[in-house]
Amino acid sequence: MLGKLMKYEWKATWKFILIANLMITVMTIMANVTVKLDFFSYEQPNVIQFIAIMVMMTYILSMFAMIIGVAIFLVYRFYTSTYSDQGYLLHTLPVDKHHIIIAKVLVSALWIILCEFIMYLSVIILVAANGEVFETLKDGMDSIISITISETATVRGFAVVMSLVAFLFSLFAKLLKVTACISLGQLSANHKLLVSILYYFGIYIVQQILGVIYLAFIAAINKNNSFYDMYGWESMLVSGIVYSVVFYLITWYVMDKKLNLE
Amino acid sequence: MAPIVQCMGLTKTYGRKIALNQIYLNMERSRIIGLLGPNGSGKTTLIKIMNGLLKPTAGEVLINGQRPGIDTKLRISYLPERTYLNPGMKVIEVIQYFQDFYPDFRMDRAYDMLSRLQIQPNERLKNLSKGTKEKVQLILVMSRDADLYILDEPIAGVDPASRDYILHTIVSNYNRNASILLSTHLISDVENILDDVVFIKYGSIVLQASAEQIRQNEQKSIDRFFREVFAC
Repeated sequence: MLGKLMKYEWKATWKFILIANLMITVMTIMANVTVKLDFFSYEQPNVIQFIAIMVMMTYILSMFAMIIGVAIFLVYRFYTSTYSDQGYLLHTLPVDKHHIIIAKVLVSALWIILCEFIMYLSVIILVAANGEVFETLKDGMDSIISITISETATVRGFAVVMSLVAFLFSLFAKLLKVTACISLGQLSANHKLLVSILYYFGIYIVQQILGVIYLAFIAAINKNNSFYDMYGWESMLVSGIVYSVVFYLITWYVMDKKLNLE
Repeated sequence: MAPIVQCMGLTKTYGRKIALNQIYLNMERSRIIGLLGPNGSGKTTLIKIMNGLLKPTAGEVLINGQRPGIDTKLRISYLPERTYLNPGMKVIEVIQYFQDFYPDFRMDRAYDMLSRLQIQPNERLKNLSKGTKEKVQLILVMSRDADLYILDEPIAGVDPASRDYILHTIVSNYNRNASILLSTHLISDVENILDDVVFIKYGSIVLQASAEQIRQNEQKSIDRFFREVFAC
């Protein structure tokens, strides 16, 4: 049933994601053209320079619009399909609640990874349009990598893979934090969405405090190490896994044991 | 064989408000049971607990001898009192959805009812009127070979001319070994198809009897009797 749930989650969301990514693609092409044709040059007429600035501003705004739009869309999708009228259908399907949560989180994670990939690709294409900036950025990235990751190729490869795994769990933790907060909000008799938002900020503050305590603890036992050693992929992986498990269990508990659809 | 539905001390409270108060109720198999009561009497709360959409505060309900869960959902076909389909989907897509998730769904039966009600399979749900959407939901629910059909206000949103057709659809499409639990306050429209009647008031069962028994004992229609019992 997990596969079927994922199929319908995919079908219900792909159009919005496609439109968002098409918007970024169109803006990337337009911004790329303005850079390649040197529209920003002082030698160009004022109108051309103005158009170039407007295109770049729209490009940057479209990036923010995509980040915020996709986040709101996925949160809204989870809420409406799970705890509003559509929840009547979802929760009367003969499926395991674990499968419902996993299907929604996996499809959402997939969309976020795709959107982030398209965004990074867009920035790289735009930067590459201006050769000098690209070279400078490349040198900068190389030096950052050489500082943060050990010199040998094996260790470096392992660290890159583990960083990706850590990123994945960190993404799951963020998504499950949202599902947990929306689920906890449903336990309230009134103002369920508002209560969900309050839970989100409450948990955010607790996470920040725990993060500071963790850093202080690591600093105390590793006095000679640099910041990067203290806060590398290991910390991200551990916190990602721990938070994913905690938020998953909260979501599952509310959905399976405390469901109260109005 | 055990009753299809057994409620044992079923209680649901919202804060201080008691929605269901110590319900003890058995519903037999192969019967059409009317769950009748005024608005706010607890009909929908009882139905939602049977479907696992609400958790009882105390007591329990058993369907086919089991607590609400995956196994009971495989055997219950439930029509809620609200539109629960994604409005962006086409009729043909929701039929496929039901086919994918319910092994007892009969696609041919669904298409037959759609054509009789002249509903286009390629129409998007958001383009349909409220009454037509309710008809689509009823078609989906009645196209399953379930043990128990739970229909919450199935005729409330449709015009009087369509009500007879919908009741006919319900009666002619359900599996004869199954039971139907039909909640409504439009009693005169449904009383001719009911085998048993349950009256619910302020979250308590005030009467459970066969429809024939009520007519004989009270010498009046169930609608008339209901109006007397629930007179304000």
